Amino acid sequence: MTSPHYGWPADGAAASAPRRAPALSVAGVEPAAGSLDNLTRRGAALLLFVSEECPTSAMALRNLGPLCHGWEAAGLTAAALFEDPLDVAIRVARRLGWTGLVLSQPPPYATSRAYGLDAVPTTVLVDRAGLIAGRVVGWDQPGIAALIEQAASALGAAGPAGSVRPGGNVEPVITLAAPPAAEPRYKPGCSSKSAIDPEIAAAISSQRADDEMEEMFERGWTDGLPVVPPTLERVEAMLGGADGSVSLGFVPPSMGEATLERVAACAVLAGCRPAYFPVVVAAARAVLDPAFNLHGQAVTTQPAGQLVVVNGPVRRAIGLNSGMGALGPGFRANLTIGRAVRLLVTLSGGAMPGGLDRATLGHMGKVGFCIAEDEETSPWEPLHVERGFEAGQSVVTVIGSDAPLNISDHRSRTPEDLAYILAWAAATSWSTNWWPLAEPSVFVICPEHAEMFRAAGWSKQRLREFMFGAVRRPAGELRRGETTPLVHAADPNAEVPKWASPDAIVLLVAGGEAGRYSAVLGPCTGMGSQIVSREVESG
Amino acid sequence: MTSVSMSTSGVSMDRVSMDRVSRDYVSPFDERVRVVEPLAPRPAGIAGRAVALIDIRKNRGSEFLDRIESQLAAAGAVTTRWVKEIFSKPAALALVDEIAGRADLVVEALAD
Repeated sequence: MTSPHYGWPADGAAASAPRRAPALSVAGVEPAAGSLDNLTRRGAALLLFVSEECPTSAMALRNLGPLCHGWEAAGLTAAALFEDPLDVAIRVARRLGWTGLVLSQPPPYATSRAYGLDAVPTTVLVDRAGLIAGRVVGWDQPGIAALIEQAASALGAAGPAGSVRPGGNVEPVITLAAPPAAEPRYKPGCSSKSAIDPEIAAAISSQRADDEMEEMFERGWTDGLPVVPPTLERVEAMLGGADGSVSLGFVPPSMGEATLERVAACAVLAGCRPAYFPVVVAAARAVLDPAFNLHGQAVTTQPAGQLVVVNGPVRRAIGLNSGMGALGPGFRANLTIGRAVRLLVTLSGGAMPGGLDRATLGHMGKVGFCIAEDEETSPWEPLHVERGFEAGQSVVTVIGSDAPLNISDHRSRTPEDLAYILAWAAATSWSTNWWPLAEPSVFVICPEHAEMFRAAGWSKQRLREFMFGAVRRPAGELRRGETTPLVHAADPNAEVPKWASPDAIVLLVAGGEAGRYSAVLGPCTGMGSQIVSREVESG
Repeated sequence: MTSVSMSTSGVSMDRVSMDRVSRDYVSPFDERVRVVEPLAPRPAGIAGRAVALIDIRKNRGSEFLDRIESQLAAAGAVTTRWVKEIFSKPAALALVDEIAGRADLVVEALAD
């Protein structure tokens, strides 16, 4: 078996002479893990030099990662040496399923330089004697397979140290699995950061070190927008003396623990002021209620986001906007509270779009979606009172929700006409033929529309029941494309309502005093997601 | 029969103290190292094997499983049918344990 040597060493005269592996200058979770003696003590070490930004490195980590445990049992210890900060390395390794050791080297990447790296990934086999036994540059599945075979051969002769199976049976046969060849067998790597001119590398790293905002992106602590770095001081201020170790539960889908400290970190990242934190905490408690089924919402291909509705005195106390532009930009409290909830889901819960969040399109409300009800303008009891709270309580209500659809009506002169227009606007929710919807549709009624119902003396329940009764179509007309089993089972002339019951219509009042534009937010369906409310506990 | 054991979250976890990833920042990530469970040994064949077919309640999943079931039966497998509570939630651990205790192999119909 010929050792695979690609691009190493630079001095061709030494090609056949085993070279001593340079010492590692790296950091790991365990301080001793990064010594060559430690890595080779079971027999041999496989060093995989990688970088977070390099797709070929990701391919190598993804393909080799699941094999590390088996290799370890056979005497081959695998370590990924990242040219990235340790926390970035751990996150990337976890995401890609790397199960070997994770090590990190800081600029100017002395270990990569000592190994003469031009590119990542580079795979280096170090034998028990600390000599470089082979080396493969880039993703080269046959080359790496040959390297593993070489390790197996060497370890088989020497015997693995301590490969004793449970039950006490010594396992003499070493089986080192080769990397799978499912993906492309060859893929060039990316430039090693150590290959950059040292002065330029120093300048780049210096620039990065000075730029906290860029560092947040490097760490992946973002939803794609700049964030506020969660320094200890800021997080402590956000906590306001609360015990950060208190757990609110586990955030699906990855079940990261929502400690108060972690929720506070998300609130800082989102740009919240400490005064908003009790609302963020109430919202976090609400979305973590199993009845809300955040798990389903977080990973679905649907666009659904988590709408946060705030009622009660806290709205005014922290400056939540329920007036002009209530569903849009411009108000820190609305934008950052909703964003904090979403960062908790995407970062602590692991539902990163394109990762475990599989939304086909998503919508901008998934950046963050927090609205306040204009209780003072509303002719009706506010949402939290409908849900059993006292008017003087501050309450957060969460609803799995689609993007808003504008409903313009400047012409209706009777409450019946207006209710008809509002209701029929929602007929296309989910699909023109998906009737009935069991989950809630949220109507945000603008003040001018609300005033018409007030003047006519319509109660909230009357409006809800009128809307429910207005939107109906014969089952036979709904049997095209996507529809429901109920429509298929019904008599063709049977009238099917758009909603399963009047209770599936949620009515809120918000918006500017001028303009007759309301909106409907379609539901997250098929999840069994229920509306959940939690009182805001004062600090 | 392959026995399967699962922790409550389906993966074993060892906490690594990475909440405070530097002296400056508090991480929003729950930095725990997840130990990936190794794949169970692949069977040499399916004749005589107990195969559990799980319908997660996605549209037309049962139709897909009907086709799979007929082909598995033709190949000599002994099939059983199972249904999850709802597609959008993880299966109940009791269901997972029951299937693990009664089947050699599992086929799950995931999406419509």
